[in-house]
Amino acid sequence: MSKFESVEQVLEKLSKEHYIADKNIATVVFLADKLEKPVLIEGPAGVGKTELAKVVANATGRRLIRLQCYEGLDEAKALYEWEYSKQLLYTQILKERFTEKMAGAASLRDAAEKVGEEDSVFFSQHFIVPRPLLTAITSDEPQLLLIDEVDKSDPEFEAFLLEVLSDFQVTVPELGTIHAKQRPLVFLTSNNAREMSDALKRRCLHLYIDYPSQELEARILETKVPGVGQLLIQDVVGMMHKLRALDLKKTPSISETLDWARALLALNASDLDEEIVSQTFNVILKYEGDVRKAQAELDKLLQKKAGEAAAKAPGAAATANPAATKKGALH
Amino acid sequence: MEKKILEFANILRKSGIRVSTAEAIDSFVALEELSLEDREIFKDALRTTMVKRGEEIATYDHLFDLFWSGFYDNLRESFGQATGGMPEGMDIEDLLRAIAQMLQSGAAESGDISELARALLTADLSQLENLIRMAAEQAGTQRIENFLQVGFFSRRTLEQMGMEGAADQLRQLADRLEQAGMSPEQIQALRNLIDRLLEAVRRSVRAYTERELQKQNHDYMEKFRRETLLEKSFYHLTEDEIRKMREVVERLAQRIKNVLSIRRRRLKRGKLDLRQTLRRNMSHGGIPFELIFKQRKKDRPKLVILTDVSSSVANVSRFMLQFVYSLQEAFTKIRSFVFVAELGEVTPLFQEKDISDAIEAALEGGDTINVYTRSNFGYAFHHFWQNFLSAIDNKTTVLILGDARNNYNDPRAWCLRDIHNKAKNVVWLNPENPSAWGFGDSVMDKYLPYCDVAEECRNLRQLSKIVDSLLL
Repeated sequence: MSKFESVEQVLEKLSKEHYIADKNIATVVFLADKLEKPVLIEGPAGVGKTELAKVVANATGRRLIRLQCYEGLDEAKALYEWEYSKQLLYTQILKERFTEKMAGAASLRDAAEKVGEEDSVFFSQHFIVPRPLLTAITSDEPQLLLIDEVDKSDPEFEAFLLEVLSDFQVTVPELGTIHAKQRPLVFLTSNNAREMSDALKRRCLHLYIDYPSQELEARILETKVPGVGQLLIQDVVGMMHKLRALDLKKTPSISETLDWARALLALNASDLDEEIVSQTFNVILKYEGDVRKAQAELDKLLQKKAGEAAAKAPGAAATANPAATKKGALH
Repeated sequence: MEKKILEFANILRKSGIRVSTAEAIDSFVALEELSLEDREIFKDALRTTMVKRGEEIATYDHLFDLFWSGFYDNLRESFGQATGGMPEGMDIEDLLRAIAQMLQSGAAESGDISELARALLTADLSQLENLIRMAAEQAGTQRIENFLQVGFFSRRTLEQMGMEGAADQLRQLADRLEQAGMSPEQIQALRNLIDRLLEAVRRSVRAYTERELQKQNHDYMEKFRRETLLEKSFYHLTEDEIRKMREVVERLAQRIKNVLSIRRRRLKRGKLDLRQTLRRNMSHGGIPFELIFKQRKKDRPKLVILTDVSSSVANVSRFMLQFVYSLQEAFTKIRSFVFVAELGEVTPLFQEKDISDAIEAALEGGDTINVYTRSNFGYAFHHFWQNFLSAIDNKTTVLILGDARNNYNDPRAWCLRDIHNKAKNVVWLNPENPSAWGFGDSVMDKYLPYCDVAEECRNLRQLSKIVDSLLL
């Protein structure tokens, strides 16, 4: 693992991992690495928040530890748990040894004390099941801890996270406080289902990833879906941006752009026309109402293209037809 | 630099972005790690450490541009204009070179020239910017509060800069250069140039003062308005405010939701559940390692809303509907009815459309009623009594919103009495002040005996208080 040296280097390393970032993202990643501060990543669904964490882990040679948050997630599932059944099993097995040891005890109090001496046997690292947070903290190797969809967790869990995030230490009552051997890089992602508390935000760097600009999205498409022609890239990206301007229930995101481009590629489309777009709308739009809305606007969405299409109509028609027949097979 | 960043943090705070001291310190540390040459990186670094909300980014961008830049460009522009208007065949460079030569050769005494005058003559804009900033600081421009003070602070800044002195010096310099034998055309051009330069300084100072005002006041009005929106009567909202109000309602609802989740959790833990505990611990040989507690369930209220959508209370209805539906998950079931004289159910609207569309449709009567009639509460209640009384059980809260202005029709209060008898409670929200209840055509007094709660609800603050108490 090595630290980043400059913002430019971050950009370069990320793009080696096929993640096209803008300078804002790179700056924040750079600072997180330098200042050893957690990053809270917010933004609409599907713009690559989780992906960023994975890619940074790869780029820095850290191991990725992922903690998926959900309602009802508690310490036992996030931090550690005592392995009751194992403890129980051991007591059963060691029963005789205990009786032996207790044989010399004169009184009840004496016996209790003797048992007490063995406390640490049962409450030791041996019987602890580390969950993601504890793993990240106790590991000898550098880690990247991804706390995914932290907004889905309960406010109590958030409060508990604060200790971990500010000092990189956790307290296990029976064992004492455990400090991090290596400060893990921490990424938290949130879809803003609930606003995170100020206390949490204060401890984190903040990164807002929005839908990318046309130019950036085109570059992302180019890297992520090899084999897509420039013409199709421009068409797809242009269409996505127009779609995002519509008032949709779920605005299509980068992941949808990629899916769509892959689908179009599979259908052998070299550019967009009305037929193929309306056939593949269900790849990018996830609600019936949204599809209907977009269908109604389809003319307008494709309008600008009409002129261009006319210019090279023969080529476009030739590719559109096999695409249409193939489409049937896909369904 | 640090001082400037703190100042910037202060300005962010004034615009309602919460920046803690710890966060400002983070930004210092962050900047140490970065090269400051790239403006974009600088901007991102400050943002990531100080601004933690997506919706505040636009404000931040605006303030950043105001604070960190622009003035120099502004200065350059006005000086470009000042030095651009040279008579034909004469170049500003030549003129300045001629002056410099004459000064150097000692042909004319340069006299004592102030920093300002020298900066002007050498067109040293960054020095000039510095001088203006320093003078403005001494003049106390950062305390500027409103537009009327722009003139005052500009004048004070100019005084602090020693503007008059510099002007005199420059004119004297021109005189001396004339005596030293500069050509008349050149002198004339120089005099004109000096006048234009001085004018440019005056304008720049004024521009600087105006920017300062903008900086200090940005979003201040916005914030002020948001605060007052909470208090403002629903009757007096403008179109624009209605749009803004939607966001405020959204935020309030979100806050209540957050509080609610904590409240629920606290309530949850009840008595030891023996049966569950034994069952769960069978795998431990019956030794009760894990304890299971009975979960106390707090009933989520069922809600039946009767909303008057006549034009007189449409705004109140709008926000109440938005509020209640933003909190949908806090209730087991919501059924909503709208009425003016006729009464119709609009529950399906809220299942099909998203909130704001549904509300607009409901206010139009939702295809079920005619909204262009005169209010008749008695008729509406009677209709409800006849057709929907079964919607009410002993877990239902009936929320009625209306001004009870009945246009002298029969109030038929007995309908409400029967509703009251069946329901858990009846809450009446009236946008009118209690002192007006029962006067004129208001029949609020007739209905009052059958309401468990009757509250005045004229602004958002009252509304949120009532909704909150419904959920408790």
